[in-house]
Amino acid sequence: QLDRGCALHTAHRDGLSSVSSQDVPERPRAVFHTSESDPAKHTEQHEGRLYNIPLEEVNAVFPHGLPHRFQQQIQTFNEARVMVRKPALELLAYLKGSNFTHPAVRYVIYGERGTGKTMTLCHVVHYCSRQGWLVLHIPDAHLWVKNCKELLQSSYNKDRLDQPLQASVWLKNFKTSNERLLQEIKTQKKYMWGKRESTEEGRPLREVVEQGLARVRSASDAVGVVLKELKQQSHRGSFRLLVAVDSVNALWGRTTLRKEDKSPVSPEELTLVHNLRKMLKNDWSGGAIVTTLSQTGSLFKPSSAYTPQELLGREGFDALDPFVPIPVPNYSAREFESCYGYYLERKWLQHEKAHTEDGKAELQFLSGSNPRQLDRLAGPL
Amino acid sequence: RLRAWLPRIMPVRWSRYDPSYLEPEVKKELYQRPLEELTEEEREQMELKAVRPIKAAPPTLSSSVFSDPMISKFTNMMMKSGNKVLARSLMSQTLENIKRKQLEKYHKAPENEKETIECNPYVIFHQALKNCQPIIGLSNVTRGGKTYQVPVPLTDNRKRFLAMKWLITECRENKHRRTMMPEKLSQELLLAFNNEGPVIKRKHVLHKMAEANRAYAHFRWW
Repeated sequence: QLDRGCALHTAHRDGLSSVSSQDVPERPRAVFHTSESDPAKHTEQHEGRLYNIPLEEVNAVFPHGLPHRFQQQIQTFNEARVMVRKPALELLAYLKGSNFTHPAVRYVIYGERGTGKTMTLCHVVHYCSRQGWLVLHIPDAHLWVKNCKELLQSSYNKDRLDQPLQASVWLKNFKTSNERLLQEIKTQKKYMWGKRESTEEGRPLREVVEQGLARVRSASDAVGVVLKELKQQSHRGSFRLLVAVDSVNALWGRTTLRKEDKSPVSPEELTLVHNLRKMLKNDWSGGAIVTTLSQTGSLFKPSSAYTPQELLGREGFDALDPFVPIPVPNYSAREFESCYGYYLERKWLQHEKAHTEDGKAELQFLSGSNPRQLDRLAGPL
Repeated sequence: RLRAWLPRIMPVRWSRYDPSYLEPEVKKELYQRPLEELTEEEREQMELKAVRPIKAAPPTLSSSVFSDPMISKFTNMMMKSGNKVLARSLMSQTLENIKRKQLEKYHKAPENEKETIECNPYVIFHQALKNCQPIIGLSNVTRGGKTYQVPVPLTDNRKRFLAMKWLITECRENKHRRTMMPEKLSQELLLAFNNEGPVIKRKHVLHKMAEANRAYAHFRWW
């Protein structure tokens, strides 16, 4: 433990320089690690390597949004290591070079199942929160269109339906991730919550969030207010806004929810979805929109569908068009080596045969270099 | 009358084969040896394989380096109504659970204790099974109208079967209804590894009964 810490902190730029300053037995371990924990400084040299996110930062930046298996891995290994991959580096390069006076550019991360789209999104979210942007991270839009126990009729607009539970959970996590910026941004209008409660003009947005948490019935309206305010104020340039939506194809598909008279609910009738769709339009400036497609939680879509055309449908594609597509492939040979080496180093691969060349070849063949399959296979081994 | 239910997989390997059919050979190492290394009989065997037909491989036979016959036996015993997919996934989740629990203990332990903690789920599984195996069993023998419980030696297969059966029945019956099988199994296996737990107790009870019925041992005629 102690040796590894010294080795990684002395070489601050590059895994290669850490190789030269170390003893021979340490060399295979450090090659796939990098001590650069600031995503802003990640370049092609760091491709295929794993960087560490300190645990306090993980709790602050990702109260929601990390995949479940990754959270289990963080708990078992006692550290959060994310691999730096090409799609993420590409996205970061675009974000660094983007002009914030122009309308927000939309990026859609797509790929087959289990190739690392959500992890790429989390990498980008980490970068933006390090740079001090305000991050609007919706962990999984599918959770808003299915399995909703309570649907209330919205008081603001008679046709729409509210989802108090999902909205309040999201507001709680949003508050934890963006404490400082919420204090600074002020509302520009007076908002009435029912007959007696109201938020005055010029109060910090944090109060709106707390109002939504305290009065769960109006949580969805609070979410709508927050989104509207952020959209109006982002072009001023006092803060940068990142809208990170995972599984964005949920917003334009169908829902499994039904109204009380058993008629199906379409996504426009949900307040949360309606407000989020307005946010995803590129009529505001001063930030970026990064989204991910996902077939895994999607409703009424075949399991072989992974392209934006198939998953978003015509409506979604027209709404998101024009966007920058970012494909995420399976692991390259180098990335597979580094993932395998990491599992070996952390003693995750315990089977004696897993340490041999045969075992490694078998793992590569069985998983097809797919990150999720490799993770699932390496679990019992 | 048409059958309403057709099985998804039709068995190919029958138990009655023509005697000319040979068994399939799965191990890669045996094929990679050069011709000079082989003895006379082995060379004849290789020539036969080129000519004779070969039986279909059973579904449990695997050429993977990670396959373990004990684990497959255990998975088959856990299987219900032929759902091998579910049984195998439960088994892999159990092994993963054991590994996670042991790794967490390992990382929290002080340096001197780290070597004593076993993290390999396969080692734990094999050792737990070995600890649960009874040495002597009881069988019913009827003499003069009365049935006596006679202590009797057990074969290796019977011991392994009893150990696995006890583990599975313990997990299925004596636990809280809502706990998942991997959770229950991993707990039981870790207890059995440390020679604690209800399965080890059952083994000791059986041993005590056999010791108590020592007098009837001569009723055994095999």
